[in-house]
This record gives sequence, structure tokens and C-alpha cells, in this order.
Amino acid sequence: MKYIFINIWRVTQRELKMMFARPLYMFASVGVMLLSTFFFLTLMKGGTAENMPVAVVDLDQTSISRRLIHEMQATPSVDIQLITNSYPEARKAMQQGKIYGIFVIPEGFYSDLVAFKRPQMDFYVTNAYTVGGNTAYKQMLTMVNLTSGAFQREVLRKKGLPDDVIMHRIQPLAIEGHMVANPWGNYSVYLVSTILPGILGLICLMLTIFAIGFELKMRTSHAWLRAAGGNYTVAMIGKLLPYSVMYFVLGVGCHLILYRFAGFPVYGSTTRLMFGLMLFIFAMEALGITLIGLLPTLRDALSIGALYSMLGFSLSGFTYPQMSMLAPVKALSYLEPLRHYYLIYVNEALMAAPVENSIPHMLALNAFLVAALCVAPRLHRALVYWNYPLK
Amino acid sequence: MSKFQYPIVKAFVAELFRIFRDPGVTVIFIVATLAYPLIYKAIYWNEQITNVPVAVVDLSNSAQSREFLHRWNAAPDIKLTYSCTSMAEAEQLLRDQKVHGIIYFPRDFARQLADPLGQAHISLYCDMSSFLYMKAIYLSCNNVMLESMRNIQIDRYENMGVDKNFAWALVQDAPYTETALFTPTGGYGSFLIPAVLMLILHQTLFFGICMLGGTAREENQESYTFYSLIGRAAACFTIYYGLSTILLCAFPRLFDIPHIGSFWDIQLLIVPYLLAIIFFSLCVSVFIRNRESGLVLLISSSLIFLFLAGISWPKEMIPDAWWYIACCIPYTHGAHAFIHINSMGASLATTGTEYIALWILTLVYFVLASILFYVRKRQNNVF
Repeated sequence: MKYIFINIWRVTQRELKMMFARPLYMFASVGVMLLSTFFFLTLMKGGTAENMPVAVVDLDQTSISRRLIHEMQATPSVDIQLITNSYPEARKAMQQGKIYGIFVIPEGFYSDLVAFKRPQMDFYVTNAYTVGGNTAYKQMLTMVNLTSGAFQREVLRKKGLPDDVIMHRIQPLAIEGHMVANPWGNYSVYLVSTILPGILGLICLMLTIFAIGFELKMRTSHAWLRAAGGNYTVAMIGKLLPYSVMYFVLGVGCHLILYRFAGFPVYGSTTRLMFGLMLFIFAMEALGITLIGLLPTLRDALSIGALYSMLGFSLSGFTYPQMSMLAPVKALSYLEPLRHYYLIYVNEALMAAPVENSIPHMLALNAFLVAALCVAPRLHRALVYWNYPLK
Repeated sequence: MSKFQYPIVKAFVAELFRIFRDPGVTVIFIVATLAYPLIYKAIYWNEQITNVPVAVVDLSNSAQSREFLHRWNAAPDIKLTYSCTSMAEAEQLLRDQKVHGIIYFPRDFARQLADPLGQAHISLYCDMSSFLYMKAIYLSCNNVMLESMRNIQIDRYENMGVDKNFAWALVQDAPYTETALFTPTGGYGSFLIPAVLMLILHQTLFFGICMLGGTAREENQESYTFYSLIGRAAACFTIYYGLSTILLCAFPRLFDIPHIGSFWDIQLLIVPYLLAIIFFSLCVSVFIRNRESGLVLLISSSLIFLFLAGISWPKEMIPDAWWYIACCIPYTHGAHAFIHINSMGASLATTGTEYIALWILTLVYFVLASILFYVRKRQNNVF
């Protein structure tokens, strides 16, 4: 028993030397993680999209249409970039990506308005940019409802009604929106909380494949096994130990930054979230072992690993919900560890759900370890006999 | 004359051989490029988020609240799946992710509506674990609310003896229509897939060229002559011109992704886009030592490039410092230009800013690659 620990430590020491001998390991893990954390935390000014540029097409060109435009400009969160009397010009600006919405005041607006003929205004938003278009849509909806209420307010004011009564008159029904666990509607909180662990997982997978595959490629796997006293399990544990510690420290450090300094919310248990993160790291490493075990050629395993883990970002369902995916794609999503981590994150950080809700996903993450065990005989043979193409 | 052309042709042919003899590069260049678009299309097949489950807590239990719910349930976006007697019960459902939203009518809902001076409130709780849930729930509910609100106002004015037409003019002096332009379904896939197609071209070419550079260096077969620069670029360009046409012109037409742009404009866009990526990648590949290290080191750049380009997250909301960096990446201009042409029907002239930027990047990275190749060549000669 004692020898096992000594051997593990021997392999770990050998691995540490290799880690520091090649700058790649540190760049690809610590460097990439630091850069990504810095990038995603500083990319989204304030985290909420607002003030999307829009255009107003004034076909009426009367004092009242100009007053309307003036009132719109005064509406907060609307950025009128272009005022024109030609719709094609506004459309062109939209095609150039300069604006996300167009508001059209029709010809004869003034005369229809005073005749109570209710002239129709039109607004157009682009669908080619989802967040920009949606934000512009919400802004314009608010803007048009505010300006539309203005006329009523004036009539009622002339009748001498107090303002709070007028408010209820104009808006007899109101929605109070509550955004559960992200009351600011912060896009950054929502995106970064899953994308950064996702990148960490990507690093785990690629470096695990690389660390094992490189021994095969360089024909150094015999020396590796020798250090482990010929024991495959000891060799694997010793090799992955320093990496696992490093990934976990990186993961916890990244979460400290998010939840302690950047003020991201955790409503549930941080301990369980960190436990989930640890299982996620193990699952990604196990996936790496599985891939290099199935395809003992470094290059093939890396290419497949890259393709597989990049899909995790879409399949996890944090952008486009999994409930709207086709059944076979839905099934496939459970093969992505990131999907399970995301669900643990939702349970622990956002919903403060009881532990029973996270347990199935924690077990699912453990299932990836079983896959790694299944390829063990094959990988062991590859390490001993080098029975695969070199390049 | 022939003396000038010959080494370029030789380098071109040699590079083509290296690409097709290397299964790793072939997988990235051909298989990944063709398989990825299909997978993404499959993931976003349904485009729309429909029938998001919502729980109802109706304490008012009135005809008015039921009518509101009835109207809201008709919207395709959501589906009222649970009726709860208390908020606690609904919160439990949300926590278990059985619903993604809760609508709550307080006890005095009907009374407030009946009061000519009252204001009734509805509370709406949205699950923020995906922004698309919130969009589906909030926008559809808001539309029903606005419609109901106007009807209530009209009723109240009519009860006061105001003429119906005048009441309408009061309540909504100018009605509006809203039109979503360009992609009629407004689906998530229609928006994201064009940007992803451009990213696939960018990243497979980027990784492939880095892998080729690393391999050559591992095998001591690197050549840093000017001819080899041109030859290598020409070989990648030839292969990718065909692939780009398949991805950008054929794929959207085959798989019902928006494609209102001109075929020829897209052909003209492909040229500087590929050249800029190729010279950009050749610059990076000079620093790659092993065939695999490029992929390990640069894999997360795909996500960074995607967000940096200002497509998922609007470019207006990106800090200037990051935007300047974004402008150095060919993907940023290529993706915007492709969306403008392909998804919004702009002409090449309309999206001229991005098009010219791509040519400038081509030129800059070509000069930079020439310099880096020259420096490398001299270093190699010294040793």
C-alpha cells in the first residue's frame, strides 16, 4: 500500500517536471483562463444592453411630428441616431448595421391626428442581430406607448385631474416583472457563469488528451509506466493529480472572482456548486482519457475532442433552451458534461433548490468516469505496445 | 519569367500534397467544415422557443383574470401548465424547473379593475437561467397586457359616456404596427447560423494552417521563402474557395436559412475574407512549434472571436479597447459583411466599410507574414 503512494508521488514529480519544461501547459491553462476571465468580465459594459441606435423616418414633416420626435429623444434608453424623410435611407443604415430599428411617422399624421382618425405609425426591427434587435424592439414599444399616452394625459390634465389619477386612468393594468435570481436582467451574469466553466472544461479535456497522447507520440510511455511501478492506475492518478489540483484551483479562483468581486449572485450553496465544479473537472478529464483511449493518435483525439467540447456550449442549453431541441439532439446533450454542470449551477446558484435536484446531474457527471474505466485496457495496451500509427 | 513562376507553383503543389496526405489537417479542413454546419442546423432546427411552461397563481379567481389567461395561453410562446393555489407551490415548481415562469393575480385584481380609478397589478416571475425564456414569457404577456389595458380604458370611457371613436382616439391616438425585417421566423438559428458559418471557415482554416506550420517545423521541413508563402496561401485559398461556396451559398439555400443576398456579392466577399484569414493564420503559425500545440492553445479563441465580433452581444455595448482588437480579427468584418449581405440583402457597396476593412487586413497581414517569414528564414540560416 505504501508503495502505491510512493509511486504515485514519483509519477507526479515526473509530470511536474514536464509541465514546467514546456511553456504550453501553463499558457494553455493558467494563461487562457486568466485571459478568458478578464475578457468576458470586461466585454459587456454594465451587462445590460441599452441605448440601441434607431432611426426615425418622418414622412409627415409637420410641427407635431417634430414634436413627437423631440419627445422620443427625451425618452431615456432610446438613441435616435438618424432622422430622415426617406425610408430607403433608413433601411440602408440598417443593412449597414448602424441601427437596429426604424420608426415611421406616416404622411398626413398631423391632419389625421387632429381629425381623430388615428393615423398609424409603423416600426421595424431587425432580426438579423438578436440582442440588438430585441432591445431596440423593447425600447420602441416603450417609446410608442409613452408618447401615445401623452395625448390622453394632456386631455385629462385640462379636465383638472390630479396626476396619480391620470396615471391609473392611462394605465389601469400593470405588470410587475420579476427576474428570478438575476433581478438586473444582467446578460453578463447569465452568460459568463456558464461560459467560463465551459472554457475551463475545454482546457481540462484538451490538456488531458495532450498530456497522455504526448507520451504516446514521443514514445516515452514506457518511462512513465516504469515510474508507476508498471501499474496503469497509479500511472494515471499520478499523472492527472497535478493537473486536477491546478484546474480546481483555477476553477475556484474564477468563481471567487465572479461571486465575491464581480458580485454575481449565488442564492444556494456555494459548497455544492464547487463540488459540482470538481465533478465537472473530473468528468472532462475522464472524457479526455476516453478519447485518447479510443483514438491513441494524439492528433485525432485532439481534433475530435475539440469538435466535441465546442458543441457543449450550444448543447448545454444555456443560450438556446434544450426543451426546444429535437429529441435526438436532446439525447445528445446529456453526453456533454457542460449540460450537467449548467443544471447544477441553475439549481445551486439561481434556484437555491434542495440537494435532491442536483444529485442526478452529479451522478451523471460520475458516469463519465465509468467511460474512462472502460477504455483502460485498450489505453494500457497502447501505452505498452505502441500499437497505433505514430503521426 | 518561368524562373519566377516555377518555385511558386512548386510550393503550391507541395502544400496541396501536404494537406491531403495529412489526415489530421484533412479532418479539420474538410470533415469539420462540412459536418459542423449540419450539426448546428440540427441543434437549432426548431428556431422558435414555443410552449414555455408557466404556472398560474390566481388568487382573484375572477372572470377578468381567466379571460387574461385564456388570451395569453393562445400565444404560441408559452403554455399554462400548472394552476397553483399559493405562491409557495408555484415557487417549488420553478425551483424544480417544471415551469420557467409564474403569473400571479392578487386578490384585489378584479376589484381594482372594476374601480374606475383603480390600477390592477399582475406579477410576472421569469426564470433567468436562459434569456430566451424571459423573452418568450415577458414579451407575449406584455402584448396581452397592452391589449387588455386598452379594452379596459375604452370600457371605462364608454361608461363615462364618451363616444367610442373619441375614446379610442384618447386611448391610442396613433396605433402602431410592428414588423420584424429580414428573417420572417425571427428564429435563433436564422440569426446565429450565418455567424457560425463564417466562424467555422475562420477557425478551421486558422487551426489547419497552424497545424501545418507546426508539423513542418517538427519534421524540419519548413520553408520560409517568399515563394512558399505565396504557394501555401494559394493552396489553402483554392481548397477553401470551394468550401466557402458550399457553406455560404449552397448551405443556406438547402437548409432554409435566410439567404436574400446576391450570389455574386458573396463570391466577391469570400476573396478578401479568405485571404485575410490565411495571412493572419500564417503570421500566427510562425510561432507554433508542434503540430498539436496550436489546437490546444488556441481552441478557446473560437468563443472569444465570436463574442468580440459584436454579433451575439451588440457591438455598441463593447468597450472601445476590445473593439479595436476586434477590428484586427478578419472574422469581425467578415461576419458582419456576410450578415449584411446574406441575411439583410445589402449590396456589396452598402457594406463597403467591412469589405474595405477586409482588404486592408489582407494587405497588413500579408506584409506582416512576409516580414515574419523573412526573419525566420534568416534565423534558420544562422543555425
